[in-house]
Amino acid sequence: MKQALMRKTFIFFLLIFTSIAAFSQGKIEVSGKITDGETGEPLSGVSVSVINSAGLGTFSSKEGDFSIKVELYHKLLFSYIGYDTVEVLIKDQNALNIKLQKSVIKAMDEVVVTAVGPQKKINVTGAITSVDMDDLRKSAATASVVNTLAGNVPGIMAMQTSGQPGKDISNFWIRGISTFGASNGALILIDGFERDINEVNIDDIKSFSILKDASATAMYGSKGANGVVLITTKHGTIGKTTINAKVESSYNTRTITPEFVDGNTYANLINEAQITRNKPAIYSPVELQILKEGLDPDLYPNVDWSKQLLKDGAYTKNANLNLSGGGTTARYFVSGSYLDEDGMYKTDDQLAKDYNTNADYQKWTYRLNTDVSVTKTTVLKLGVSGSLTKRNSPGLGDDDVWGELFGYTAIRTPITYSNGYVPAVGTGNQTNPWVAATQTGYNENWQNNIQTNVTLDQDFNFITKGLTFEGSFGYDTYNTSAIQRHKWPEQWKAERYRDQDGNLVFIHQTDPSVLTQSSSSDGSRREFLIAMLNYNRAIQDHHLGLDLKYTQESTTFTQNLGDDIKKGIAKRNQGIAGRASYNWKNKYFVDFNFGYTGSENFAVGHQYGFFPAVSGAWNISEERFIKNNLPWINLFKVRYSYGRVGNDNLGDNRFPYLYTIADGKGGYDWAEFGNDKNYGGLGYSQVASPYVTWEMATKQDIGLDLSLLNNDISLTVDAFKDERTGIYMDRNFLPAYIGLTSTPSANVGAVKSMGVDGNITLKHQFNKVNVTLRGNITLSKNEVLDRDEQESVYPYQMQKGYRVDQTRGLIALGLFKDYDDIRNSPTQTFGSYQPGDIKYKDVNGDGVIDDNDIVAVGSTSTPNLIYGMGASASWKGFDISVLFQGAGKSSFFIYGKTVYAFSEGEWGNILKNMVDNRWISADISGDPATENPNAPYPRLSYNGNDNNFRNSTYWLRNGAYLRIKNMDIGYTLPKEMLNKIHLSSLRIYCIGTNLITWAPFKLWDPETIDPRGETYPLIKSFTLGLTVNL
Amino acid sequence: MTNKISAIAVFILMASLLFSCKKYLDSDQYFKDRLTLDKSFNNVQYIEEWLANSYSYLTGVNADVASKGYEPFNFSDDIYYGDRDVDFDIKEEGQLSYNAFSLGNYHENDKQDSWTQCYQGIRSASIFIYNIDASTVINDEQKADYKAQARFVRAYYYWLLLRKYGPIPIIPDEGADYTKSYDELALPRSSYEACAEYIGHEMVLAAKDLPQSRGQLEIARPTKGAALATRAKVFLYAASPLMNGGKGSMDFKNQLLDDQGNPLLGITYDEEKWARAAAAAKDVMNLGVYALYVAPFTNSGTLTHPATIAPPYNAEFSDKPWPDGWANIDPYQSYRALFDGELSASENPELIFTRGKNQSTEGINVMVVHQLPRIASGWNTHGMTLKQCDAYYMNDGSDVPGMDQEYGRGNGSQRVGGFVTDEDVAEGKYKPLLSGVSLQFANREPRFYASVGFNGSLWDLTNESEERNREQQVFYYRGSGNGYTNTMFWLRTGIGIKKYVNPQDTYENGDLNKVVPKYEPAIRYADILLEYTEALNELTGSYSIPSWDSAQTYTVARTTEEMRKGLRPVRIRAGVPDFSDAVYSSNTALRKAIKRERQVELMGEQERYYDLRRWDDAATELALPIYGYNVLMTSDQRDLFHQPVAAFALQSTFAPKMYFWPISLTELQRDKRLTQNPGWLTYNN
Repeated sequence: MKQALMRKTFIFFLLIFTSIAAFSQGKIEVSGKITDGETGEPLSGVSVSVINSAGLGTFSSKEGDFSIKVELYHKLLFSYIGYDTVEVLIKDQNALNIKLQKSVIKAMDEVVVTAVGPQKKINVTGAITSVDMDDLRKSAATASVVNTLAGNVPGIMAMQTSGQPGKDISNFWIRGISTFGASNGALILIDGFERDINEVNIDDIKSFSILKDASATAMYGSKGANGVVLITTKHGTIGKTTINAKVESSYNTRTITPEFVDGNTYANLINEAQITRNKPAIYSPVELQILKEGLDPDLYPNVDWSKQLLKDGAYTKNANLNLSGGGTTARYFVSGSYLDEDGMYKTDDQLAKDYNTNADYQKWTYRLNTDVSVTKTTVLKLGVSGSLTKRNSPGLGDDDVWGELFGYTAIRTPITYSNGYVPAVGTGNQTNPWVAATQTGYNENWQNNIQTNVTLDQDFNFITKGLTFEGSFGYDTYNTSAIQRHKWPEQWKAERYRDQDGNLVFIHQTDPSVLTQSSSSDGSRREFLIAMLNYNRAIQDHHLGLDLKYTQESTTFTQNLGDDIKKGIAKRNQGIAGRASYNWKNKYFVDFNFGYTGSENFAVGHQYGFFPAVSGAWNISEERFIKNNLPWINLFKVRYSYGRVGNDNLGDNRFPYLYTIADGKGGYDWAEFGNDKNYGGLGYSQVASPYVTWEMATKQDIGLDLSLLNNDISLTVDAFKDERTGIYMDRNFLPAYIGLTSTPSANVGAVKSMGVDGNITLKHQFNKVNVTLRGNITLSKNEVLDRDEQESVYPYQMQKGYRVDQTRGLIALGLFKDYDDIRNSPTQTFGSYQPGDIKYKDVNGDGVIDDNDIVAVGSTSTPNLIYGMGASASWKGFDISVLFQGAGKSSFFIYGKTVYAFSEGEWGNILKNMVDNRWISADISGDPATENPNAPYPRLSYNGNDNNFRNSTYWLRNGAYLRIKNMDIGYTLPKEMLNKIHLSSLRIYCIGTNLITWAPFKLWDPETIDPRGETYPLIKSFTLGLTVNL
Repeated sequence: MTNKISAIAVFILMASLLFSCKKYLDSDQYFKDRLTLDKSFNNVQYIEEWLANSYSYLTGVNADVASKGYEPFNFSDDIYYGDRDVDFDIKEEGQLSYNAFSLGNYHENDKQDSWTQCYQGIRSASIFIYNIDASTVINDEQKADYKAQARFVRAYYYWLLLRKYGPIPIIPDEGADYTKSYDELALPRSSYEACAEYIGHEMVLAAKDLPQSRGQLEIARPTKGAALATRAKVFLYAASPLMNGGKGSMDFKNQLLDDQGNPLLGITYDEEKWARAAAAAKDVMNLGVYALYVAPFTNSGTLTHPATIAPPYNAEFSDKPWPDGWANIDPYQSYRALFDGELSASENPELIFTRGKNQSTEGINVMVVHQLPRIASGWNTHGMTLKQCDAYYMNDGSDVPGMDQEYGRGNGSQRVGGFVTDEDVAEGKYKPLLSGVSLQFANREPRFYASVGFNGSLWDLTNESEERNREQQVFYYRGSGNGYTNTMFWLRTGIGIKKYVNPQDTYENGDLNKVVPKYEPAIRYADILLEYTEALNELTGSYSIPSWDSAQTYTVARTTEEMRKGLRPVRIRAGVPDFSDAVYSSNTALRKAIKRERQVELMGEQERYYDLRRWDDAATELALPIYGYNVLMTSDQRDLFHQPVAAFALQSTFAPKMYFWPISLTELQRDKRLTQNPGWLTYNN
């Protein structure tokens, strides 16, 4: 809302500047007092400036007094954040008392950022969500804007798959996934340029818009099909310098940490796995006793590796400082931030001084936005921003650490043998977790990125009213470098017996290695150019808007190019886009948008495409019958759009229209034995795919915007349909008689996706308590209409007709009850099976269970439903809010060495969850009830079981969850108190993130959808923060 | 004023952006140094390499003669292989054993590489044919030769496909347009006749520009003769009963249909096809390039090249010099040297087409390694059936006593007993047999001794590093070291194969260099000669058929004189008398004789598998049990050893589905219009 006002002020300024200046007739001094129109309190820091006179201006004092010299018949402008601006024409008055009215945001005045710049929300005919950044900022203790999106922004499907510092950024999709092509991610534009969303600190964001339908994205042509995120960063506004500071400190724990059984339980289970399959036990009763009593920690240890490896929690520190202000000549916004996230790995104290083996992450960002009014109608904007990040990880890498933790069992080896030897059961990821985390060196990953942009805004009111120009040039560089410094100790493994003298018998596993080093780097630079003409004019009831935009951009990889010359060539795009909009009396709206864009990646003649979209809206609330009869309806608008947008992202596949002719194919020798006339073979190592082009999305959107009861209730709902055709794929199923030795590609796939998204906000004031409830939902479903695949005997085995990335597996019918059950069931062909093993459904009815019985089960591992519900209340200086976020309609298979107990022999821990939930033969338990055909874990087996351990509904898990994503309580100190210490505001707050998670799947955090669970868990954190405005 | 200036500046900027950036997306400048199709055909080295690649698909699974890993088709009711059998070694699971192969226990997706590889070769050659014309770096003569070579090799791929799969899809001349949709790309199979016509036509085009002969350094390139000989073979196949109205296979023919339901094989008999085949063979003969190879008669011999053992006196042939008789030739050496590497390809006047050195990992040397006995470190697994062993004539042209008696179709004679004694050897009887050899192997025709590793034959093995390991008489008695053992490596019939084995060959220390390199006899003149007689024998009328280049018109009819032109030289070179006029005058007797002659002369050259099928004989011949000697007998029981029994480890049968190899299910899944060969699964049943 604030930015809406600022935007309005800004436009207002532009208008004022362009009006013809009155001829000066001498100067007088004007002075007076500025007060709040409601309370009568004096307002300090109000900007007083003379319209059309660059450089002149002053601010009101603490008591609200001001004094300024001004030429007669000039206008004075009084502006203050949160208040309506006031203009006064100076004729002869010397004293001027001004009462400023608090600005009230009306639905009619709300502004959203679109492809052609800010636009009044009322005029928008497409599906655009404008995110309230204050809400986002307040409710999340994170520097990453992406992690705040799920549950906050309708139309966004998001998923966080890791909690590791620096790798914890969510994946997100606008309206879900609607293609199986190389890219399903949204186009992200920061200040108009395609940039990495992590490059912008959440505190620097002024506006955040999600463009969802064709009418909103057509101007992006061949890049807009997956939706567009528009981010603009803050600029300075006229006024006294304001300083905002934020300091946060968090304590992070884990949402869910997988729990494993202790050594004693493990040993008993491993015996059961053997005995139940008629094989000898691995541990004798004596050994079990030794283990239980802990008598021989060298041979029968019992180590809790999680404790060895993981701290209980870790700290995050986050600070941000920004300054902004300026006058009519120049404005500025400067910010800097620092983030320091600690990892959860324990480190070796002796090494701590030398280097860091923990998974730490540090990030510094800065931003400078300067606006200079060069002439009355020209504004030059310079923006520079950048970031520097450093991420650490233990020598063997993060993934290995978790693999080891999941693999290394409690009784495998001690942490160190009693003689000081370092134990390991193997090399690589079979190193012991403590060694892996602390004794194998470290990796450092650096990134430094700089973004620069120069923008020229020119107002052409003097040519015709409402004509403006904006030209921008951007230049970014991105560089990453990674250094791996590895070492490892000499490692040993003791045999499970002692020699005659009772000494341990060691097998040498690895020689020690001194620290070795390797490094790699990557880099790219990007260049952008945008030129845009806008024309907006209202003539009586006719409102006309015309926009024309030229863009070009290139990305050049500068390092790590390999030997393929194609990778060294800049990726380039070029396009012209336009928009024509018209509305009559803000009642009937029609928009036409188009993009004519090209990509260098396609053959000449196939490079450019035309992407049109039409949309219309009817603002029913402006109709007289509503205005007269139902005045409590503030806004009631229906929208519809139809259009086409493209997606030219083919991943790394450059210039598919080119062929490659190379030798190295089969050759021939013409000569007799004893002679040599041999020629190597020359031929196409890659055939051309000459007609490859972008995929095409045909999008429809029907939407409703509703605002009732003085805007106390507002609602936006959209239903959408996206038909994607021409999805780029390799043609893997060409008949062999075509004779190709390489695979061409083509635009062959098609996907239909449909869904709804929407949000509702309810506001009410109970006495002095302001309560807001909000909710939003995004639901989508897609279906593959066509893709490159060959005919199948069983239609259900084809991907056509199912979701993109549909999970597929056998249908499990529980566990076999007894041998009769086995005899009476179809033969399962995967391996031998017994009662207590998984029984599958014979889908095709051929009496045999094999891969032909694999069908679509569940949905997809990415959620198809994301929703959020939030509530907030404020009373005097206190505010409290809570956000529930949930996801649904997702499912994923679990597997791996811990899920499939003992599938890799003694490598692999056993989840505590299994202990009481498995099928146990009555021969072992002595209780027939333990032969539970519905047990969630089958009869144990050792060294894998091909019948049980395969993707089936038995191992399919529901990925749904609901969690308290955030809960925050804040207190803003009263103004009177602050004024004494020269502060304009101060808020202290406490935020809890991911506090409680409810989910049917409990082994690890379901949001990670990791089938093995071997990832850094998501973070549950408690944050204490302070924001100060000066 | 400044307003106007800035306005003008902005508009100029906008306009110049739009125009100057017109070429912003062009990337051609970066790619001009890449190797283009055009460039690759304007560089002599690259042209050779394109062509070499077009040929390269002829190797491996597409060889005509190779070991079973690539060519199980080289093994039929004549020879077999005992290894690659999961029954003997679990590690061989997934390999196609001889029994699986001969029982039809293979599947739709087995051994399908040749389909893929042939069509890849077809594409490569098509690209060559379509681009070589524009080349400016080679002269027209060379261009014509190169183009003709590519055309030859492309047609040859079709021939390989046609022989194995039956009717196949013919790809558009310029190559299939892979940018089309799968539906548009779907091609049906062309009829056998259309395929044969296409190949014949292409081979004529190729023959026009191919030279008559090639030098030592170009021996693997085709000649005019190679093109015409392939054409002759294709036409002979198209005339044969399986494709041309043969009654035995009529049910099968009625099921082999294209996607429109049209039969793909000739339902009604057309005799003129035989005439066309005969004329095509005559085209090769009339080139005047080829002759059967003969080695000179010699009185003094060495171990490896013994003195000529003259066939028993025959008034018609013994006194006349070659080609009218065998007075001045050594038939044994003449035949042996064709295959064992002694004769280089350029010295061999009989070799019409060969892949020369391009034999991959299952080449003829590997085949030999599997023929060599255990004492030569050979694998001892490729052997011969008793049927084949019996097919060889006696040295006077009569049948061996007891021939085929196990099948109940012998002439009533019994197998002879007794063994060569030391005295016999001293007296010079039964040459070249050594002491202890069954008399069943005595007095056989020279090709027998050049082809059959009979029990007790001599293996020279002169490449063995130790003198004592050379010159070994090898018996296949149980317990003899080369006989039955509890492994995979023994001869299931007690009969080995000598063809292709050079006297020097051994596999000592697993060293393939100890095997003399051998040329692959892909097409041999003897084959064309026999085909000529075979085709003529089927004629009842007289036909006027133009020669390949339309320079003359042949009058083709069944006359003894013409038929002798084909069969007689083959017989004389082998040191066996030509057949009597009585045989020549009988269509059926001669047909039988020709079939047996092919069985003997072309053993191990991948002809028998396909001959039995095209003759419609597979149903009778392949359904017979496989007999061999009693390999369970020890040397003490040598009489029993030589009493044939059904070979317990070998099985054979025939079902109509085995006429042609199945088309892979994957291919059927990808081409809606492709139809499966009868008897095999389609992907949706």
